[in-house]
Amino acid sequence: MSRRILIIEDDPETSAYLSKGLGEAGFAIETSPNGREGLFLATGSGFDAIILDRMLPELDGLSILKSIRAAGIATPVMMLTAMSAVDERVRGLKAGADDYLIKPFSFDELNARIETLLRRPAITREETQLNCADLELDLIARSARRGERMIDLLPREYQMLEYLLRRKGRVVTRTMMLEGMWEYHFDPQTNVIDVHISRLRKKIDPEGAFPLIRTVRGSGYMISGDA
Amino acid sequence: MLRNTTARFVAFHFLLAALSSLLVLAFVYWSTTRVIDGEVRQVVQAEIAGLSENYTTMGILGLVRAIDRRVRDIDQRDAIYLLTDAQGRMLAGNLSSWPPNVSPGTGWIDLDLFRADTNKQSKLSAATFLLPGGERLLVGRDAQARVAFDSTLIRALITALGLTALLAALSGWLLSRFVNRRIGEITDTADEIVAGGLTRRVPLRGNGDEFDRLGSTLNAMLDRIEALVGDMRMVTDSVAHDLRSPLTRLVSHLESATDETQPNDERANLIQRAMAEAEGVLKAFTALLAIARTEAGMGRDQFAPVDLGKLLDDAAELYAPVADEKNITLRRHGNGSLVNGHQQLLAQAASNLIENAIRHAPDGSEIVLDSGVAAPLLAISDHGPGISTDDLARAVQRFVRLDPSRSGPGTGLGLSLVGAVARMHGGALRLSDNGPGLRAEISF
Repeated sequence: MSRRILIIEDDPETSAYLSKGLGEAGFAIETSPNGREGLFLATGSGFDAIILDRMLPELDGLSILKSIRAAGIATPVMMLTAMSAVDERVRGLKAGADDYLIKPFSFDELNARIETLLRRPAITREETQLNCADLELDLIARSARRGERMIDLLPREYQMLEYLLRRKGRVVTRTMMLEGMWEYHFDPQTNVIDVHISRLRKKIDPEGAFPLIRTVRGSGYMISGDA
Repeated sequence: MLRNTTARFVAFHFLLAALSSLLVLAFVYWSTTRVIDGEVRQVVQAEIAGLSENYTTMGILGLVRAIDRRVRDIDQRDAIYLLTDAQGRMLAGNLSSWPPNVSPGTGWIDLDLFRADTNKQSKLSAATFLLPGGERLLVGRDAQARVAFDSTLIRALITALGLTALLAALSGWLLSRFVNRRIGEITDTADEIVAGGLTRRVPLRGNGDEFDRLGSTLNAMLDRIEALVGDMRMVTDSVAHDLRSPLTRLVSHLESATDETQPNDERANLIQRAMAEAEGVLKAFTALLAIARTEAGMGRDQFAPVDLGKLLDDAAELYAPVADEKNITLRRHGNGSLVNGHQQLLAQAASNLIENAIRHAPDGSEIVLDSGVAAPLLAISDHGPGISTDDLARAVQRFVRLDPSRSGPGTGLGLSLVGAVARMHGGALRLSDNGPGLRAEISF
């Protein structure tokens, strides 16, 4: 059974663009162009995630979100907004949004974040180690090894590797890393994350070894052992 | 008529003045008459004492003689005496008959009588006695003086009220004319500003009175509004300037890309370039919006204690690899100091300054990230080319870009945002020569 996503978005172009992309990514999509209907759908049959526009006709996104949460529905909600202010993001998260994206965004960014939202509840069981092919991260000893070779990591490099491994096989965007590890909710002008990744990569994927950390063009990075 | 503030003010002023003069005169009247009445009674009391001595030593005849003597005395005009036998027949005195309705021995009385000697209706206040032989005695004083005093006082009261009314009307009118004129100046200024003259200001007298204080407060408000409107204009100008050229390039790339005669990889390349232009536009747009919002003080509700030391530690850690690529060392200075501020905006300001420094610092140099020791501050010092002294002051102005061609990376709005963040935190961004290099400091 494919996972279902509800898109509440009044702009038909954006809505169509999202439906098409997410449909191709294997999701079943339902859309609603206005707040009232959207709220009705959201409180009805179980969706796996809801994509909610901040500004909607009839009922605005924040009110819908509050109503959904007040009704005890815990479905992950991704807010979309054209208001690119940090305060807006905080208001959205306070109202119960699980994530927040500022328009315009790339589809890859949205897709990566939706995947993360859907996986979120899975991290409940206590893990002692994370793996990817022959890379092993020991969460107790806080050490990493690739095959037989121990890898010496700085605290932040360890944190980055853990972040990637917990999202193994999924795209992690630069913004996600900046938000997740540095709590920077703005985009620096320089490619700081790329430099951090390239350092990590030098330690994880030495020359000749099978590259585990991959660059996903236009979106970000992914760790994967698949060929 | 009372809708008019001036009329209302004058009426109120008059009422107050009238009431106060009424109260003053009433008090004067009350206390003066009390004194006069008291004196009259004292005089009468003394006379009674004298007469009673005559009576006890020389009997009724002595009393008659004493009264006759006193009546003849020209100075005793105001004095009234009457001694009658038990049947009411006059024995001595200057009153023709015992007044009706008055029984002797009832103490102090006030009477209205016709006096035969002066041919006038008189008011008098008197004491009456019943002597042991059955004779009746009345000793009194003509209260004419008192009556005259009363009427004088009433005349004074009326005159005072009249004068008060006149003065109240005059002072009220003058005062409200003064107030109206000052308010009128403010109204005129406001009207002119509404009509579009945003540079107009309320005229000040320079005497520091309430109107001057109100005027200077309004002027300060107008300065702020004018500055904001000016910023707004600069934002629109900047937006026009910053966005028009990349948008034009974007359109031309896309136009070329629609040309089907071109090879496919060339078209893909054009689309790629169009996307890069679009991204640049978005970045500039986001930066301009952030600056405008920060300048307007939005987000102040999210102020919380921020540890500047930790903020710079994190930034240093984030930028260390980037700096390392140019062999630049990021050195931390100062300790953890708390300020009340906007965590994200302060982090962004620090990040802008550090990126600037890394961009301009020569290879192998050192950049100092200072969080202050005694007082909290946020300072980034590099050993790059710095900014010429002429440009130092200009660089921190709102929306000023030192490099108009903007050949380098970034939107070129970094310092503008840092300045806005500093102002939002009640501080200022100061740029100074680091000999050589640039020191950018936000004080709190």
